[in-house]
Amino acid sequence: MSPLLISLKVACWVTVLILPPGVLLGLLLARGDFRGKSLIETAATLPLVLPPTAVGYLVLRMLGRYGPLGEPSLGFDLDLLFTWKGAVLASCIMALPLVVRTARVAFEEVDPRLEGIARTLGLGRVRTFVEITLPLARRGLLAAAVLGFSRALGEFGATVIVAGSIPDRTQTLALAIFSDMQIGHDREAMTLVAVTVVLAFAAVFTVEILLRKRPRSA
Amino acid sequence: MTPWMLADITLPLDRFTLTVRWETSHAALGIFGPSGAGKTSILESIAGLRRAARGTIRVGGETWLDSSRGIVRPPERRGVGYVPQDGLLFPHRDVLGNILSGTRRAGRPGALRVDPERALEVLELGDLRHRDVSSLSGGERQRVALGRALCSGPALLLLDEPLGSLDQPLRRRILPYLLRIQKEFAVPTIYVSHEATEITLLSHEVLILEAGKEVARGRPQEIFIDRAIYPMARAGGFENLLTGRVVEASGAVATVELEPGMRVTVAAPDQVAGREVIVAARAEDFILAVYPPTGLSAQNILAGEIREIRQPAANDSSSGEAGAAGQVVVVVEVGRLAAPLLATITAQACRQLALAPGGRIHLVCKANSFHVLATR
Repeated sequence: MSPLLISLKVACWVTVLILPPGVLLGLLLARGDFRGKSLIETAATLPLVLPPTAVGYLVLRMLGRYGPLGEPSLGFDLDLLFTWKGAVLASCIMALPLVVRTARVAFEEVDPRLEGIARTLGLGRVRTFVEITLPLARRGLLAAAVLGFSRALGEFGATVIVAGSIPDRTQTLALAIFSDMQIGHDREAMTLVAVTVVLAFAAVFTVEILLRKRPRSA
Repeated sequence: MTPWMLADITLPLDRFTLTVRWETSHAALGIFGPSGAGKTSILESIAGLRRAARGTIRVGGETWLDSSRGIVRPPERRGVGYVPQDGLLFPHRDVLGNILSGTRRAGRPGALRVDPERALEVLELGDLRHRDVSSLSGGERQRVALGRALCSGPALLLLDEPLGSLDQPLRRRILPYLLRIQKEFAVPTIYVSHEATEITLLSHEVLILEAGKEVARGRPQEIFIDRAIYPMARAGGFENLLTGRVVEASGAVATVELEPGMRVTVAAPDQVAGREVIVAARAEDFILAVYPPTGLSAQNILAGEIREIRQPAANDSSSGEAGAAGQVVVVVEVGRLAAPLLATITAQACRQLALAPGGRIHLVCKANSFHVLATR
């Protein structure tokens, strides 16, 4: 599989997997008022400030033979190390802080009094979230998804440690550029760079277009 | 009459603890008080939006809150139609979308049923139904918020200064809609305002709130002219309100009969003879005359008897707003009008005229100082 397809596959999976917990965590941090909130907040931000290689190394040790998630401890093999799924896992962890923070801001920008009004109009908690909060936060949530996708697309440090850089299997665009550059394949590296530019442009441009449409529901 | 509502609420706020208790059988209750008195907190507690509220709330035989028994009914199951000061329309829905937001609950048995089309008609929103709410004017937004609350099948309407964000002329244009809603849909209402006139028009009973405590309660027309409450009512734009019937209307003026033989001329265009109206005049717009004056341009002279003269309190300058300090309030009984009229004059004028309770007096008022507030 080409680096482009591997990158797209990984980034799409990351976006799909990271959104539900990321949005939920963002909502919890925006609306919740509980003990240990700052602790969760800090923990969710950690991957943003740690060196990606440190995160990758931690994941490697956890999944490794003697780690708590290794085959001997679990009794079965998760089969994540040095597979594209491992790249997804690494990128998920690296993308989480961006998604959570963006989702949190998106929810914080929704006036909680609007949710209160919805409740008085007979909408329960869940309906209020689905009919009022979610549509009003959708721009920010969309931005969160794109940020998560982009972060996964560009992920290098953690991925290279957890998934390696195996051509046709785990070698994403970011990894392939580095590898081509190392062995002096400058033209190939440049081509891949061009591909990433087009990809990034398309992603950001799509969001711009989507955001320009006025939010509206029938 | 059995009380349809009982409320006994305790809610700790930043500056004081709100404690109010009332039972009422009146379908229209007003809550009046200066800003920061805790009026909105009362409504939010009734709506179920204040989790810290303790006590008892019973509406129409249903218990919404009973802390002693651990009953806290969630807001979506209380059935209130809440209209906040700023409308709080859903920005992602158009006018109709907003109005229909709460209609799912309206199908419930026992709930007030308001046909959305009828609401659009009464509130004159029909032409705006597909408009984006961000393009509406302040008055239109409040009408949409009213419609949304009405169509949600409310057992109780909570109106939190619904005209508060509008300027005076606009308030006067929206007021008739509120009166029309009361008449047309007969839903119990709690009306919160710091405007004495609105409260008087829209409620049968008023609770005066100051720093989280009830200081008085009773019929608005009696309470607002009470010696202790009047300064507050005055700060809230007190006006003398008179009910009457238009007997003659021509061009820019109308003649209104307040009681048989007592007529006033009012500057009010587009009136129709036979209509019941409420006219208003501010206390400072009356001129007092000891003898019947003649040769005046002022169109109205009402003869009455002084019931009471209220001298300004010694510390009035510190408590009253600018212009109110040092004013004497003369309470005048006119004919068999439901409430006495209040006129304010300077202490100097009061001394010069040697006014005393029981004395005959004439209230002079220009047609332009009387205005028609609403039609009944």
